[in-house]
Amino acid sequence: MPTPSTTTETVTLTIDGQTATVPKGTLVIEAARQVGVMVPHFCYHPKLTPDANCRMCLVEIEKMPRLQTSCSTQATEGMVVKSSSSVQAQEARKMVLDFILANHPLDCPVCDQGGRCDLQDFSHEYTATSSRFQELKRVFPKEYFSPLIETQMNRCVQCMRCVRYCDQIMDVKALAPTGRGTLTEIKAFGAHELDCEFCGGCVQICPVGAITSRLSMYEFRPWMLKRTDSVCGYCGDGCQITFQTKDNALIEINSTQGSGRNNGDLCARGYFGYHVSEHPDRLTLPLIRKGDEFQSVQWEEALELVGQQLLDVKAKYGADAIGGLISGRCTNEDIYVFQKFMRGVVGTNRIDSSARYGHLNGVHALQRVQGTHRWSVSFEDIESADTLLLVGTNITETNPITGLKVKEAVKRRGAKLITIEALNPAIGSISNIVNLAQQHLGVKPTGFSTAILGLLKAVVEQSILDAELQGKAPAYFNAISARLQALSWDAIFAQTGLASDLFTEAAQVFGQGKKVVVLVGPGVLRSEGGFGMTMNLMDLLLITGKLTNPGCGLAPLAEENNDQGAFEMGGTGAVLPGGTSLGDPAVRENLSKAWGRPIPDTPGSSLPQLIEDAQQGKLKALFVVGENPLASLPPSSGIHSALEKLDFLVCQELFLTETAQKAHVVLPACSYAEKDGTFTNTEGHIQSVRTAIDMVGESRPDWEIFSALSVMMNNPMEYGDVKEIGKEIRNLLPGTRTLGPAPLPAQPDSSAIARYVTTDYQRDIAPRYQLPVNDAATDEITLQVSQSLFHSGKFSRKAKGLLQVEATGKIYLHPEEAARRGISDGDMVKVSNSLGEVLTPVGLRERIPQGVATFPEHFDEEIRQLLPYKVDPETQVPYYKLARVHLKKVVGS
Amino acid sequence: MGSMNLKEWVKTLTFYELLLGMKATLSHLLKYKPITLQYPHEKKQLPSNYRGMLALLRYDDGTEKCVGCDLCEAACPSRVIRVVSAEVPEEPAKRYSKEYYMDMTRCLFCGLCVKACPVDALGMTQEYEWAVYDKRQLHLNKQQLLAIGDRNFPVREKRLEFQHPNVAYFNVGFKEIPQKDVE
Ligand code: SF4
Ligand code: SF4
Ligand code: SF4
Ligand code: SF4
Ligand code: SF4
Ligand code: FES
Repeated sequence: MPTPSTTTETVTLTIDGQTATVPKGTLVIEAARQVGVMVPHFCYHPKLTPDANCRMCLVEIEKMPRLQTSCSTQATEGMVVKSSSSVQAQEARKMVLDFILANHPLDCPVCDQGGRCDLQDFSHEYTATSSRFQELKRVFPKEYFSPLIETQMNRCVQCMRCVRYCDQIMDVKALAPTGRGTLTEIKAFGAHELDCEFCGGCVQICPVGAITSRLSMYEFRPWMLKRTDSVCGYCGDGCQITFQTKDNALIEINSTQGSGRNNGDLCARGYFGYHVSEHPDRLTLPLIRKGDEFQSVQWEEALELVGQQLLDVKAKYGADAIGGLISGRCTNEDIYVFQKFMRGVVGTNRIDSSARYGHLNGVHALQRVQGTHRWSVSFEDIESADTLLLVGTNITETNPITGLKVKEAVKRRGAKLITIEALNPAIGSISNIVNLAQQHLGVKPTGFSTAILGLLKAVVEQSILDAELQGKAPAYFNAISARLQALSWDAIFAQTGLASDLFTEAAQVFGQGKKVVVLVGPGVLRSEGGFGMTMNLMDLLLITGKLTNPGCGLAPLAEENNDQGAFEMGGTGAVLPGGTSLGDPAVRENLSKAWGRPIPDTPGSSLPQLIEDAQQGKLKALFVVGENPLASLPPSSGIHSALEKLDFLVCQELFLTETAQKAHVVLPACSYAEKDGTFTNTEGHIQSVRTAIDMVGESRPDWEIFSALSVMMNNPMEYGDVKEIGKEIRNLLPGTRTLGPAPLPAQPDSSAIARYVTTDYQRDIAPRYQLPVNDAATDEITLQVSQSLFHSGKFSRKAKGLLQVEATGKIYLHPEEAARRGISDGDMVKVSNSLGEVLTPVGLRERIPQGVATFPEHFDEEIRQLLPYKVDPETQVPYYKLARVHLKKVVGS
Repeated sequence: MGSMNLKEWVKTLTFYELLLGMKATLSHLLKYKPITLQYPHEKKQLPSNYRGMLALLRYDDGTEKCVGCDLCEAACPSRVIRVVSAEVPEEPAKRYSKEYYMDMTRCLFCGLCVKACPVDALGMTQEYEWAVYDKRQLHLNKQQLLAIGDRNFPVREKRLEFQHPNVAYFNVGFKEIPQKDVE
């Protein structure tokens, strides 16, 4: 950012007769904007470093020779700037436009930018109706660019915004200018079609129609579009998006520069993944099973059946024979009403949500050590951190926008980056965060826990310890050091391949940090021992004295858009709304008073428990909302037999998913584009989701369905609209629901910390500070089923734009690993272990470490049968992302 | 009464005013020349800038002129036009109107759409005999509008890119580029 935020010194200047007072170092063009003077520009963008190549922003500044480019001149005290009041500047701009238009095709009628084009607007403003040029215009031969992004280089004004964006913000460097002068052309870097992150940033930032979206090409004119500000429904970053709709059809997605947590940047899922809601397979009517077939019925019939069945099961087997599972893709309001329905109407606490798949590990660790269920840091803290530690995040692919914050901190603000990632530093088609790392500890996905212990050991050996806390809780420190000393560097080396000096260097960098943020991703949260690893990272922050410092903290990344909200709304059995404990009678009493319904005092259940109980016949009915456990969990979890044993399965879904196909009743729900509500993003920021298109068919918002069911079950919870639910939640949880531009992050609670360092740590310190058993045979490979940048769960497979980038699963290997095994790109291999064998094609990626193979979880129909399944003893998180497998090339492929 | 003079008395007695009123009628009685056009047996000669039924035009090689830019739709004050634009099948990157509708019940024949069209794809014909029993018949689609153009404008223009070298690349298709994925 060209605008420095650290200084508070201001300067005062005059622009077109208006006085502006701005922080020192502000650019003249920004100062002008603040007093409402819009200086025309092409190459300037507040996100990018000034390049001053287009000369459109020339202004006259008193006491300065010649005209100056306002986009690269800093405001100084007493400066007198003339923009539109300067004849000279106006003439110069006309000239610049004339030069641009000399080569511009005037394609406006067929150009998708027409109507919102800077060049059009400025041409109007400067009434360029004739040109001094009669020469023929330049014509670039048109080449195929990419499936999602279209270029028309004849329209390019060579401002280099796209190139700079892709480099400075995205760190992808997929675009490059070639040729000279007016013949400069923007092309994909390298002689191939564009292969990049497809973030759409270049499309958004191009001031003209030289780069446009192929997905919406020719489907609209800007003035036809209705804008609806909402929030992206894919990952936990919670980006602000604007749906652009035309006659109830989703045309495109934008994000406004400067707004939302993402500041206008999006990833491929957000920018190109919007067609899910309009997929022709959407369910439009409730379905009831008749034998092997489904029959479409009206809502009354379906609701009556569901209500009656639930009441019957309850009467026959008790309320605890009914379970519920809700997706973290639902809004807070949906999840809140669901758990209220299950607890208050059905009468059971046996509910769970997709936060169970990993996010709970992070939340529980935060809660246990610092007493908050939210981050004690925000995105701003990540940007202004001086030291960042990333552990198992693969951040570019899981949480791309949080990744941009890390890039901003490292590339622009000089933060130091330590990474413990299962990635190799390598240039690839998408950005690779470890390329930016100052200290990179590269391990296999199974090596995170050892690497974390190694870092802790180095910290203790270097005595980078908080003396004050050590004085207060010597036993805690001694317990940790004693256990770490018992670990040998040789054993750590054997498991990670990393020598002690690497850990020592990383520990020193970590120790020097004043503002330290530790980001934890699915590599930790979703693999075996995830809770223990997260706790150890909390210990790391605690013993180095960072945890309580402002701007420091642990940030577990949520994979689904509303995982955090699912927890906070009471979507996970043993936790009531607000993150309070079900086991606390006072909390229960308060809540049942507020609801006017008793809250059962039976224990809550996790998804693994629900599966187990269903297998044993103790669970008779399951209400699944937006979740697809059959496709998420591997067969080794027993989910198949569990669902088969059920007497009654209801699915509330957008599509007839694998799980829904097994259901007795399927209720059609609305997608996020068709309803109002709120999502809570990974940093605990609550943002509004708004209706952009009409409900598809007879689908209804989830909360409305629960509310209608409660009426059918003679225990009505009636709500007029989403706002009423929001109000109820706000009244119930004062202070935890601030809907606003920048909530203050939660503060670590010193009493919670005190409890942890005196007694609570003892509970599980022994298993946490042990090296995992490493029994890998030498020719085995660690298979990691992981998140791809271009998809999110199985949901995004209905987005036609994303399918154009990635439509099938491949097993990805390092080229050398593949060569050693005689496998080349595109070969078919047999992947096998004791659980089964699967045939799949191979892809090569340099960023994957040797001895490791990855497979996108979105296409894991086959490969998931190889995944073993384990449940965390403490948080009940199911772990099933890693497997050891053998690879064998299929001859003749 | 007494104020009425002789001249007026004479006028009253001779029904002078009545005669004056009948003058045109009487003169036509004597000097007969038909004024009413015996429509539909006879038709009027229209001025060359007459604004009649709208039509879509073609170039001399038979290709449609319309590039599907929606500007006529934007210009129309009474929302007559609806354009659905898309890529030309087999000619990616070229834009055309996949569907084009005019609801002629609403048209006020102002000609603004014709003015707005950047490629002169719209013309106003001299057709006006468009009385129908069912006004839904006035909801015209692209084929109908092209047919109207075909029968009214036998002389066609050269393709745009052959007219002005500077717009050589305006709305050109590229066979070697894959088509945009639709549904
Ligand atoms: S880039 Fe702007 S000026 Fe150029 S053709 Fe497109 S709309 Fe017209
Ligand atoms: S879409 Fe691709 S080329 Fe464009 S900015 Fe993003 S990563 Fe770069
Ligand atoms: S493609 Fe657009 S953003 Fe890139 S240089 Fe050309 S005009 Fe600028
Ligand atoms: S998927 Fe995540 S990072 Fe991408 S646009 Fe959506 S919220 Fe933002
Ligand atoms: S008729 Fe003319 S103005 Fe209307 S869409 Fe076609 S090209 Fe554009
Ligand atoms: S905006 Fe200042 S030179 Fe381009």
